[in-house]
Amino acid sequence: MAETTEPILEVRGLVKHYPLTSGILFKKQVGAVKAVDGVDFELARGETLGIVGESGCGKSTVAKMLVNLEKPTAGEIRYKGEDITRLSGRALKTVRRNIQMVFQDPYTSLNPRMTVGDIIGEAYDIHPEVAPKGDRRRRVQELLDVVGLNPEYINRYPHQFSGGQRQRIGIARGLALRPEIIVADEPVSALDVSVQAQVINLMGRLQDEFDLSYIFIAHDLSIVRHISDRVGVMYLGRIVETGRDAEIYDHPTHPYTQALLSAVPVPDPEAREHRERIILSGDVPSPTNIPSGCRFRTRCWKARERCALEVPALAVPAEFRSVSGPAAHDSACHFAEEKQVVPPEGEGEGEGEGRGGGSGPG
Amino acid sequence: MLLEVRDLHVEFHTRDGVAKAVNGVDYGVDAGETLAVLGESGSGKSVTAQTIMGILDVPPGRITAGEILFEGRDLLKLKEDERRKVRGAEMAMIFQDALSSLNPVLTVGDQLGEMFTVHRGMSRKDARAKAVELMDRVRIPAAKERVKQYPHQFSGGMRQRIMIAMAMALEPKLIIADEPTTALDVTVQAQVMDLLAELQRELHMGLILITHDLGVVADVADKIAVMYAGRIVETAPVHDIYKAPAHPYTRGLLESIPRLDQKGQELYAIKGLPPNLTRIPPGCAFHPRCPMAQDVCRTDVPPLYDVTESDAERGSACHFWRECLHG
Repeated sequence: MAETTEPILEVRGLVKHYPLTSGILFKKQVGAVKAVDGVDFELARGETLGIVGESGCGKSTVAKMLVNLEKPTAGEIRYKGEDITRLSGRALKTVRRNIQMVFQDPYTSLNPRMTVGDIIGEAYDIHPEVAPKGDRRRRVQELLDVVGLNPEYINRYPHQFSGGQRQRIGIARGLALRPEIIVADEPVSALDVSVQAQVINLMGRLQDEFDLSYIFIAHDLSIVRHISDRVGVMYLGRIVETGRDAEIYDHPTHPYTQALLSAVPVPDPEAREHRERIILSGDVPSPTNIPSGCRFRTRCWKARERCALEVPALAVPAEFRSVSGPAAHDSACHFAEEKQVVPPEGEGEGEGEGRGGGSGPG
Repeated sequence: MLLEVRDLHVEFHTRDGVAKAVNGVDYGVDAGETLAVLGESGSGKSVTAQTIMGILDVPPGRITAGEILFEGRDLLKLKEDERRKVRGAEMAMIFQDALSSLNPVLTVGDQLGEMFTVHRGMSRKDARAKAVELMDRVRIPAAKERVKQYPHQFSGGMRQRIMIAMAMALEPKLIIADEPTTALDVTVQAQVMDLLAELQRELHMGLILITHDLGVVADVADKIAVMYAGRIVETAPVHDIYKAPAHPYTRGLLESIPRLDQKGQELYAIKGLPPNLTRIPPGCAFHPRCPMAQDVCRTDVPPLYDVTESDAERGSACHFWRECLHG
C-alpha cells in the first residue's frame, strides 16, 4: 500500500559524524564518531516505521536529525518532497510544526517548574497561528482529555504525576500542533509493564484518530513488532535489514537480525528447551573505528574474506531476487540466508502464506 | 531449604507518612534452585532482597516483623559482625547498575582482590592472582592485562561480568541478582544470563532473580513469586504460571506484554496505577485495578490460598482464584 503514493518522509544517505579533535589552541580533527553512517528509509502516510537496534547504533541520532535537533553531516531528509536539511527561517518553522517528537524519559523531558498547561501550551507561543490566545486553555484541556488525563489537571506540575501519566503529557505536547509525523524515541522503555501497554494502546488509538505517521524507535523488539507496519534494524550507524514486520520477524535473512531475535527472552517457559539461541561473541565495535567491509563481520559467525573487503548493499539479496515471498526483502548481507528464529505460535494462526515454503536458496 | 523468608514486614518513614514496602512476604529457595521474584517498581521486591542481604538503610527503613532463615539461622538476630561474615562469603548480591556499583577510582583487580584480602586474609599478590583467575572464569578476554584497568574502561556487559565474578569470588551458597541484565542490550543480556546460569549449575548455588521481565523469568526460573504492593500475590512453578495464572494481576501482566511471535491490535492493559505505599487500599491491594473485584475484595485481605492442583506447590492471594484459574 505504501509504494503507490508519495511517501510523507524520505531519508536518503543520512550521515552524522561527530568530529574528534585534539589540541587546545590548534584544534585538528583526529577522527570522527560515526554515529549515523548512511541511512535510507521512507515513511508512508499513516504508517508506522519501527527502528530497532542496540545502544550506540545511532537510532536516537536519526530521531534527533528528523526533528532538526541535530544537523546532518550529509544526506537528505525529504518531507513531502522538500529537503528540510536545507531550510531555515520561516520555512523551517512550518516544517518543524509538522514533525514532532516524544522523548524517552518522562522524568527529565518535562520542565519541573512549569505547569502541565504551560508545557503543552508552550508550542502555541511559538506557533500562534495554530491556536488564538483566548482558545489555548481549552485546546490544552482537550488534549489532556484525548490522552486520557483529567482536564482539570491543567494547573498541576509534572512531579504530581506518575511515569505513565507523564508520558501521556509528553504525547499531548507532541500532538499540540497537530503534526503529521511523530518521532517517538523509546517512548515506553522507562515505564512499568502494566503501564507500557496503556501507553502503546494510546499511541495506536491516536494514530487512527489524527491520521499520524510514526517513526517508533525502541530497543525492545516485541514492542516494535506490536506497533510497526515496517521495521528497520540498525547496527553501528546503518540499517542492515528492513521489511514489513512479518518479513523481518518470521523470515529474517541478516545474521544480526537473527541473533537479535533469538536473544529476546520469550515469555513462555515451554519454549526454552526447543529454542535455538544464537549468542553473539564480543561487543559492538566502537563507532570511531568501524570495521572494513561489512560492519557486522567482527561478530558474525558466517563472516568470510569477502565480508572484510566489500560493503554489502542494502538490497534484496541475489538468491531471493527470483523468488517472491517474505524472504525477498532488503538485507545488507553477502551471505543472506533465511532462518526462522522466532518459534511460530503453538496452534496455527499462521498469517497467510509461506511459513515453511521458500526456505532459502536451493 | 537454603533460605527461607517468613512473614517479613519492612516499612519506611517518609514525610508523607509510613510507606509499607514489604507486608508479610514468605518465600524460600533451595540449593541449585532459581526463584524469580517478579514485580513492578514499588512492589517491594528489591527491599526484600536488601533485607535478606542486610544492606537495608535503617533508618529510614525499619524491619517490623519476620524472620530470615539461612540454613536454619535467623539472620535478623545476628550481630552486625556475624552478619558481615555471612555477607559476601555465604551470600552475595549482583546489582543492576554495574557502573555505579563498582568503585571508579580502584582497578577491577583491586576490587576483586579485596574479597580475598578481607574475607580470606590473603596477601595482595595472591589476591591479584585470584582476581585474574576469576576474570578468566567469567570469560573476560585478556584477563591478565585487563585486571589493571578501571571500571570505565569496560563495556556494560563486561562490567556486569565483573560484578558476577565478585559475587562468585568466595563461592557463596546463595546469589541474589537484582535486575542483573536490565541495563544491557538483548544480545549482551543473553551472554550474561547464560554465564550466570552456568556458574550457578557448577557451584550448585541458590539464585534469587529479581526482575520485571517476564521473558527473562521464563528462560531461567524454576519457580516464581509475583509481588504486588509489598505482598506475594502468586507463587508457582514456572511452567504452571504461564499456562494458567491463578491471580488476576499475574494474568494481566502476562496479557499486557507484546509478543515477538504475534502481532495483536490492542494490548490488554491493566487499568489504573500501582498504589501509593503510604496508602495501600484496604482488603486486596489490587482490587481497584482488578476486573474481577467484588465486595469481599474491598474489605478482606486475601490470604495466600493453597491452590495446588498437581504435585507442585502453588499459592494465590485471590479470593476468586478458582474463577481466575479456570475461567
